[in-house]
Amino acid sequence: MAAAALCWALRAARQVLPSPCPRQVRSYYVDWRMLRDVKRRKMAYEHADERLRINAIRKNSILPKELQEVADKEIAALPRDSCPVRIRNRCVLTSRSRGVKRRWRLSRIVFRHFADHAQMSGVQRAMW
Amino acid sequence: KNKSAASKDSSPEGAAKKQEDGAGTPKQQLLDIIGDMKVEVSYRKKLQQLKASENKKQAMNKLEGPDSEGSVPQGITEDTQRGKPLNPELVKAASAVASSLPRNKKKTESELLAQLRRHEETTDKQKKGGIINIRNVISEMTIKRQSPAHRGARMSGRISLQLDEDGQRLRRERSSALSMDSGRSLKVGKRLNIFTKASTEPEQALKTVSSPTIWDLEFAKEVAAVTAQPPRNGFEEMIQWTKEGILWEFPIDNEVGMEDDAEFHEHIFLEKHLKGFPKEGPVRHFMELVICGLSKNPYLSVKQKVEHIEWFQNYFEEKKELLQEI
Repeated sequence: MAAAALCWALRAARQVLPSPCPRQVRSYYVDWRMLRDVKRRKMAYEHADERLRINAIRKNSILPKELQEVADKEIAALPRDSCPVRIRNRCVLTSRSRGVKRRWRLSRIVFRHFADHAQMSGVQRAMW
Repeated sequence: KNKSAASKDSSPEGAAKKQEDGAGTPKQQLLDIIGDMKVEVSYRKKLQQLKASENKKQAMNKLEGPDSEGSVPQGITEDTQRGKPLNPELVKAASAVASSLPRNKKKTESELLAQLRRHEETTDKQKKGGIINIRNVISEMTIKRQSPAHRGARMSGRISLQLDEDGQRLRRERSSALSMDSGRSLKVGKRLNIFTKASTEPEQALKTVSSPTIWDLEFAKEVAAVTAQPPRNGFEEMIQWTKEGILWEFPIDNEVGMEDDAEFHEHIFLEKHLKGFPKEGPVRHFMELVICGLSKNPYLSVKQKVEHIEWFQNYFEEKKELLQEI
């Protein structure tokens, strides 16, 4: 949910604007793919509970099968973007979909850039 | 009153009065009174004032000095200038006394009038505050007896620098001295009524503005923007971030935002929520498993768990027909 966090940070930053301390505020997502990813994350968050419960009925050996088939149909009827499988952990700064390290939410290129400029805390060039 | 007025005068004046031989019977009476006077303790003066006021009234009725008429208008104007109007009889008496004295009559008269005014003020204060019985005040007090050791300690305290040990010792001594002096507790004894209780003003009613207007909000925002200085150093920057919510508060509290006031039994014993379900059958079996899982879940609040169960209840009620077919 990196992009969701970013969005929240942006909203918070907008509220802070009236202060005279000017901070660079990013008001756009890097590209449309990132925007779509953000939408998917929001939807997944909204439908997470429902999905969990319907899946609990589905993946069951106690309830009758007819009930489970009905549950299958219900879950298929939910909007497509509500499933968490469609979320892709993109790079937060460049929106690169591949080569993204989860811990920093950054693509390998951006990570290297910051680490070489000593802007990543606790990250050092490996040598052994 | 004459006595009291004269008592405040300095002693040389008193001596002068005694020597004087005034002309005229009323003046002579006055002078006799003054001559009999002695310098008295100020506290007794007030008691005498009460007595003297009665005498004064008698004396005033007899007083009709021609000098007083001339000096009265001046006296009155002086009084009115000062604000609080004095008794015209007192004024007359003061002028008469002043005229009888050998020195600068106007000056003495003005001095007497000033003292009269002071009298009035003090008497008014006394009336408002109530009578202070000196005996009550003194009875509670004890004579302070400084032992030479204490004296020595205090002197040394003033002069020399104090190391920690000395400071502690002296502090203990001081505290012991204080405790010895106020051997009686503070709350024992009669009320002296010296101090008036600070009247707790009725808290003014809050502004009857239902909601702050837009202009108020804008003004407040402006003020905040102007007064908010950019952070001078890293610490202030971190403080600002913490206020905004970007930075967590340290030491980290794992339960920030979690306000679960429910007891443990509300989390674990969830069978009471299963009342809407049939008592036998696969549905019940399934729900019991659900409850077992929820009771082991530390991340959900009681509310969320109850919502979970209620969702299932609604779901199964909708599917009732389907279930009955089976």
